[in-house]
Amino acid sequence: MLSRRRFLATTGAAAALPVPTWADAGTPSFLAAAREPSGTYALFGLTVDGQIAFRVGLPDRGHAAAAHPSRPEAVAFARRPGTFAVVLDCATGSVLHELRSPEGRHFYGHGAFIDGGRILATTENAFETGEGRIGLWDAASEYGRIGDIPSGGIGPHEIIRLPDDTLAVANGGIRTHPDHERKKLNLDTMRPNLAYIVDGRVVETVELEDPKLSIRHISGRADSTVAMGLQSQRAPSERVPMLATHRLGDPVARTFGTGLAPAFQGYVGSVAWSGDGARIAVTAPRGAQAALFEGEAFEILRRPDICGVAPSRRGLAFTDGTGGVLTDSGAVKHGVAWDNHLIALTPA
Amino acid sequence: MTLRSALTAAAIAVASPGIADVDTALDQHVLPTMDKLAQTTQTLAETPCAPEDLRPAFREAALAWAAASHLSLGPAEEDGRAKAILFWPDDRNSTGRGIRLLAQQGEEAWTPEAIQRASVAGRGLGALERLIWERDAVPCALTLALADDLAGTATAIRDGWSKGFADLMRDPGGPGNTRFLTEQESEAALYTALLTDMEHAADQRLGRPMGTFDDPRPARAELGRSGLSMEMVRAALSSLRDLAVTLADAPETKASLDRAVEMARDLPDHALQNTDDVQTRFEVEALQTAIRTARDTASAEIGGALGVPMGFNSADGD
Repeated sequence: MLSRRRFLATTGAAAALPVPTWADAGTPSFLAAAREPSGTYALFGLTVDGQIAFRVGLPDRGHAAAAHPSRPEAVAFARRPGTFAVVLDCATGSVLHELRSPEGRHFYGHGAFIDGGRILATTENAFETGEGRIGLWDAASEYGRIGDIPSGGIGPHEIIRLPDDTLAVANGGIRTHPDHERKKLNLDTMRPNLAYIVDGRVVETVELEDPKLSIRHISGRADSTVAMGLQSQRAPSERVPMLATHRLGDPVARTFGTGLAPAFQGYVGSVAWSGDGARIAVTAPRGAQAALFEGEAFEILRRPDICGVAPSRRGLAFTDGTGGVLTDSGAVKHGVAWDNHLIALTPA
Repeated sequence: MTLRSALTAAAIAVASPGIADVDTALDQHVLPTMDKLAQTTQTLAETPCAPEDLRPAFREAALAWAAASHLSLGPAEEDGRAKAILFWPDDRNSTGRGIRLLAQQGEEAWTPEAIQRASVAGRGLGALERLIWERDAVPCALTLALADDLAGTATAIRDGWSKGFADLMRDPGGPGNTRFLTEQESEAALYTALLTDMEHAADQRLGRPMGTFDDPRPARAELGRSGLSMEMVRAALSSLRDLAVTLADAPETKASLDRAVEMARDLPDHALQNTDDVQTRFEVEALQTAIRTARDTASAEIGGALGVPMGFNSADGD
């Protein structure tokens, strides 16, 4: 039986070593990478109203980040075709771990936590064969490599966790090789898809009617409907869809926004469902605008170099390359260039 | 100061004070330019349906658009209005098809509502030019309907500026203003319009009829049927110079634009219809070079001072 003294000593020790949470990093609602005026790069936490919660320096230009569901840890990925990612302690600013892609692989710039934050999944290119792979890392212990699984296509870019721990992967369909920088090697034969992975196996893939629309960015709603932001490999003036939605089991994907393609220059940079699940936003940095869809209808929001978008409590939050942050509570401007993606922190 | 708040303070750079004068540019350049566009198109709409009367009125309206088309931000980009005023370039002859369709559909398709729903390629200055120069403004009812539609679009752009968009630019960071968050953003928007249209003048207005040495394309000139192509370039360059001098104290930009305006004045009216002539090509190329020099000068002189960040994400391609 535990004596009263020993009981007190035990609980006291636990209190002295509290488990860090996101509150220790200033309770951010969002993460975003940015270029700073001096030319350095950093990962920032942003509060619900767009103020800076924390800043952690990055070794190079970042692309996206993955946020651990409970610990104040973010994995910041280098831009494609980067081979490194860093696990950052957002409360202290220190680098906890460095992830190196295995020999013959590079990262695509996105990752997602599953299994209550115990596993990190990363999109990777096995570039000699061109096969898309999902790397699995042990986030419960030192981020060691667990192994990898097929992504279900070529050029996996964004990967997200759906509510039941299914992984959704945007296989962009475009083959690249680091020897040729970002040159697209298979535009004549590209076949992008959206793949669903359950327990390490691809259980379903869905393709769009037009194989020239690269499925690059995705966002999931509470009911697991996936919104896909599209990048056209046709002439920028061609009227092709810019958004598609699909839910596991649906026979086909629905497409939206055909008339927007010329103004978007065929290019969507990011996509997100609104916090209430009623709307989908796609951002078009080359068109300096975002379209906010509610069913087939949409409204246009104009900001220079707008790209980052994420669900906010009530609606949507946006970031742009001129430093603007739009949230539920208004607009804020920071002296940095926000990079491609805005990541919402979702409680575990 | 805690570590975190020190970092936060360092990350928020103080916005630079405005070096450009958005109010002056709006009052002395943008709003008068839009007024003139609305007035000249209204005059065209009220002109009797005779080619000899319509031609000078059309010229005024077309040149007013050349002087306004660089202001593509805001009201002109809503509802495809800029294209409804002038659908150009038009390499696929969409304007020809658009007018044929409207003519075939007959008078029921010529109501203001029906025309607003019609393809933008069959509307505006391009369509009117063909009717007035190639068909003696027949059918008259269609000519008048298109002129009315043009005036309506121009008025909507003018009203958009005077009743809202100019105020957004004057009040950056104001309540509900997500379009312009800082003074620098308003300045940058006008500066971008300036640079973009200089590129448009060199690459499109001059570049399209030039084609290549082996394949000159004079038929691709802007409003070539009415012979206004070169006058459009002159009107555009003069207007860009006005914007530059009202927006910023930029003597080098002004001097380089003065030079381009002068060179454009010295070129014959039909230069862009004669791009298969070697001497003409030489002169047009010299003007293109002068415009590109002015663009680079403005970029260094005004853009450098504004600290305009260009295309961090739009150039990324991921």
